[in-house]
Amino acid sequence: MFEKSLTDLIQGLRANKRNEAEYIQKSLEEIQSEVQQSDMHCKSTAIDKLNYLHMLGYDTNWANFNAVEVMASPRFGEKRKGYLAAAQSFHQETDVLMLATNLIRKDLASSNAMEVSVALDGLAQVATPELATDLFDDVAAVLGHSRPFIRKRALVCLYRLVLKHPEGLHALAPQLRERLDDPDPSVVSSAVSVICELARTNPHNYLPLAPRLYQLMNSSTNNWMLIKIVKLFASLTPIEPRLAKKLHGPLSQLICSTSAMSLLYECIHTAVVGDIIGVPLPVTDNVGREIDFAELCARKLVFFYESADHNLRYVGLVTLGELQARRPELVVNQYETVLKCLDDPDLSIRMRALSVISGMATRRTLDRTVKRLMSQLILSNTIRLQPVASLPSVGSIEYGGKYNGSAADSDLMAMATDATGASLVSARGSIVQSRQLTGAGPGPADSPEYRLLVVEAIVDMCTRQSYGNLSNFEWYVAVLVDLVYTAGVDVGQLLSEKILDVTVRVRQVREFSVRLMRQMLSDRQLVGRATSGSSTAKVLCTAAYILGEYCSLLSANSEDIALLLPECFEKLDGEQQATFIQAAIKVYTNWLRDVAGYWSTEVWELVRAVTSSIISQLSDLLSARTGEGNALGGIVAVAELPLQVTSRLRHFVEITKAVSVATSNPSDNAPQLCLELHELFTAYELNPVSAAAQGKVPIPDGLDLDSPIGGPIPDTEHIMFPPPPPVSPESRPRGSQSGGGRKQRRSHKNEPFYLDGGNDAGHARSLAELPDVDDIPVVQLDLGGHGSEDAAKTRKKKKKSTKHGATKRERRNRVRTPSPPPAPVDIAGDEDMPDVSAPQPQPHSTPPAQH
Amino acid sequence: MIRFILVQNRQGKTRLEKWYSQYSEQERHKLKAEVHRTVASRDQKHQSNFVEFHNHRIVYRRYAGLFFCFCIDTNDNELAYLEGIHLFVEVLDSYHGNVCELDLVFNFYLVYAVLDEMILAGEIQETSRSVILSRLDQLSSLE
Repeated sequence: MFEKSLTDLIQGLRANKRNEAEYIQKSLEEIQSEVQQSDMHCKSTAIDKLNYLHMLGYDTNWANFNAVEVMASPRFGEKRKGYLAAAQSFHQETDVLMLATNLIRKDLASSNAMEVSVALDGLAQVATPELATDLFDDVAAVLGHSRPFIRKRALVCLYRLVLKHPEGLHALAPQLRERLDDPDPSVVSSAVSVICELARTNPHNYLPLAPRLYQLMNSSTNNWMLIKIVKLFASLTPIEPRLAKKLHGPLSQLICSTSAMSLLYECIHTAVVGDIIGVPLPVTDNVGREIDFAELCARKLVFFYESADHNLRYVGLVTLGELQARRPELVVNQYETVLKCLDDPDLSIRMRALSVISGMATRRTLDRTVKRLMSQLILSNTIRLQPVASLPSVGSIEYGGKYNGSAADSDLMAMATDATGASLVSARGSIVQSRQLTGAGPGPADSPEYRLLVVEAIVDMCTRQSYGNLSNFEWYVAVLVDLVYTAGVDVGQLLSEKILDVTVRVRQVREFSVRLMRQMLSDRQLVGRATSGSSTAKVLCTAAYILGEYCSLLSANSEDIALLLPECFEKLDGEQQATFIQAAIKVYTNWLRDVAGYWSTEVWELVRAVTSSIISQLSDLLSARTGEGNALGGIVAVAELPLQVTSRLRHFVEITKAVSVATSNPSDNAPQLCLELHELFTAYELNPVSAAAQGKVPIPDGLDLDSPIGGPIPDTEHIMFPPPPPVSPESRPRGSQSGGGRKQRRSHKNEPFYLDGGNDAGHARSLAELPDVDDIPVVQLDLGGHGSEDAAKTRKKKKKSTKHGATKRERRNRVRTPSPPPAPVDIAGDEDMPDVSAPQPQPHSTPPAQH
Repeated sequence: MIRFILVQNRQGKTRLEKWYSQYSEQERHKLKAEVHRTVASRDQKHQSNFVEFHNHRIVYRRYAGLFFCFCIDTNDNELAYLEGIHLFVEVLDSYHGNVCELDLVFNFYLVYAVLDEMILAGEIQETSRSVILSRLDQLSSLE
């Protein structure tokens, strides 16, 4: 049988481009038979071919043993192939590595330098902790070899071994020191590399080497080594401040004199990171003037990021970011240049520029920066094109329709009209954006990561130091609303939090904010795009809350109520629906109070009309979903509305019924009810509450949280799931229940098919009574409305795990304590706070939960 | 330190791979595909040669139809490694005399030998072209 050499294999592969997989399968089978043969040459060719196939992605681990066999071959060429196979496909758990230990040891001690070198190479690749422990001394012995290339390999290999076998570090360190004085420059260079890597984790050990390294730095001309030494010093200077002073001189020399960009970059980077610029000694630059070292660095950096070469720009921006963290004043005058970098086609450069710019934000620059970023977002292709699956907020509706920007944001409009490819026609309150996109390729803001970063940066810049940079809050709210339209990424949560934050905290902007929210909610397109969980829905939810909460700041309008019960209601989830309904209630009562101020017969008619339409709307919602009175008869009921939603719907219904009763007869004066209903919501002003406020409320004396409140309650669970007769009649003693057993049993309680033989405190009956079938009690199910609701409630509560390890009885008792009466006011719980605790400082507070 | 080195052609076939960190087979496979996707779609004229990749960086350079990619740590000097790539290609060129992709395919173990001479365990260990070439001559005389 002809064996194929490597060349034949490759030629065959190239010839069989179409049926590659088959060809490779065939070759794999041939190789399999070849490696079994005893001829070493044949074996090694097979291993060679396997190496190649491994590179194409095929698994070759079945031949591991054969690879080790080939490694043992006396011929150098074959040995090398075996080591290559090992380096490529062995990994930490390969068991044949044990066999290789002695083999490698023999090779390391061999007189042929080539064999030693190939063994070192292979060992460096496959080192496992066991191999490292065993072979450490052998490699260390080779460090004194006569050939320099063996020495340098041994050094680097030792570094690898030390990573796996840390105790070897003690032996390694003095060797490293010796090698720094080695006559051969490449050995010195390797020693420096190794020290550099090691010093990153453990700089103290290598501090004594600093003088020698300093010498090397001054004397050497090898740029690679210089880079490594400079990097090394960056890890050493934090622990040794005097070192910084000493380095000051040579580093500045290097910076001024070197022509190698990489070395220059490394020096500047070290100077910044190692805080050598903190040394207050002046430095002479090229023309002999004395300037501050930091300024010198900054000046050289400018050269980097103004260059046309993108590589230099990128590294320049990286270092600028570092410099900004330490010396922001040096960076601020680079604003214009960095702003230009925002348009770079390279994503990494843009991201770096973005972080530098947002660090530079001040009152004066904030305006321009945000406008620039917004224009990037608006002018990109993302919003126009068909959405990627991962952008839920962007529906398939083309964006080129109405865009309700803020009327006050004339600056935004002006900027957008300047930009190419877009034309905005401004009208008070509605801006129609018709974008004729040029046929350009993907613009700068097309990647979702970048857009996310941009949005976060905008928000971050504005809210820094509790709005320290903002001078015009209305502009900020307008920006946030625009972001809702243009973001194109899922930032709804962030935006809604920020809108809420600024509206609640900054009183003056509340009116403006409410107006904007109303505008947003009237935007049919935006509302139509909201589905449960989408970011638009979250923002709309917040908008509804704000509208409801501060509706008294606007002139009341009965259409607002319709706004808050939108057509897409069913698509929202429970929380959001509840918020909308609550807001609708507030708006309704506010409108009533307003309208009561100028009561007349027409007004009375209006009130009755509006009230009855609301009633019919609500009852539609209720009946369509709760399955009561299913008009379609016999069709499976749609999923029930969550409890909080139905309860609020019912509250609303009650209120409207009360109002219609009060207005059943036309009267000259508004009924008292209309005037007073809104008081329910305006009893207290809601201020942000700090997260620690609850802890500061003193517990009143005499409060005992541990004693049960009522008597023992019959076990509701056994009404629904009567316990099956136990398998074993043995009864466990009540006292010896371990916490773990209890938990397990509790989790099994809810499975009706789990045969629980255990006894526990909740059982009304003891096990001893149950063995007889006749004694199994027949339980009457009480299916009255209240009872099942309560049972549902308790079942729901039980499904949650108990965090405090309370017994089942206490938990049930807690559930059964009378909850606050179902009044429309859910804010009652917070009432204690303003009286009892000290007023909380605003910047650290969080807004209250939305109800 | 270098995490791994990949040489891939434009279609994504790997011509050389060298892993200096522990990765399982599936991870390697995934990484190779990801690197190819990231690197092949970049525009040489307008974009830099450095890409942020997971929490490392890829320094790459395109020579004819091959992408030479080094994956390094974030605190390494990218410009130096760019020079390293160039040195590697230069050595290959002098060794093979006008090297092309086919040379790499047929003599892949020689390419590994050159790589091992230059880089060991993730660090550049030899930067002098003449030294590397003399070593390679020694090695080939042994064959």
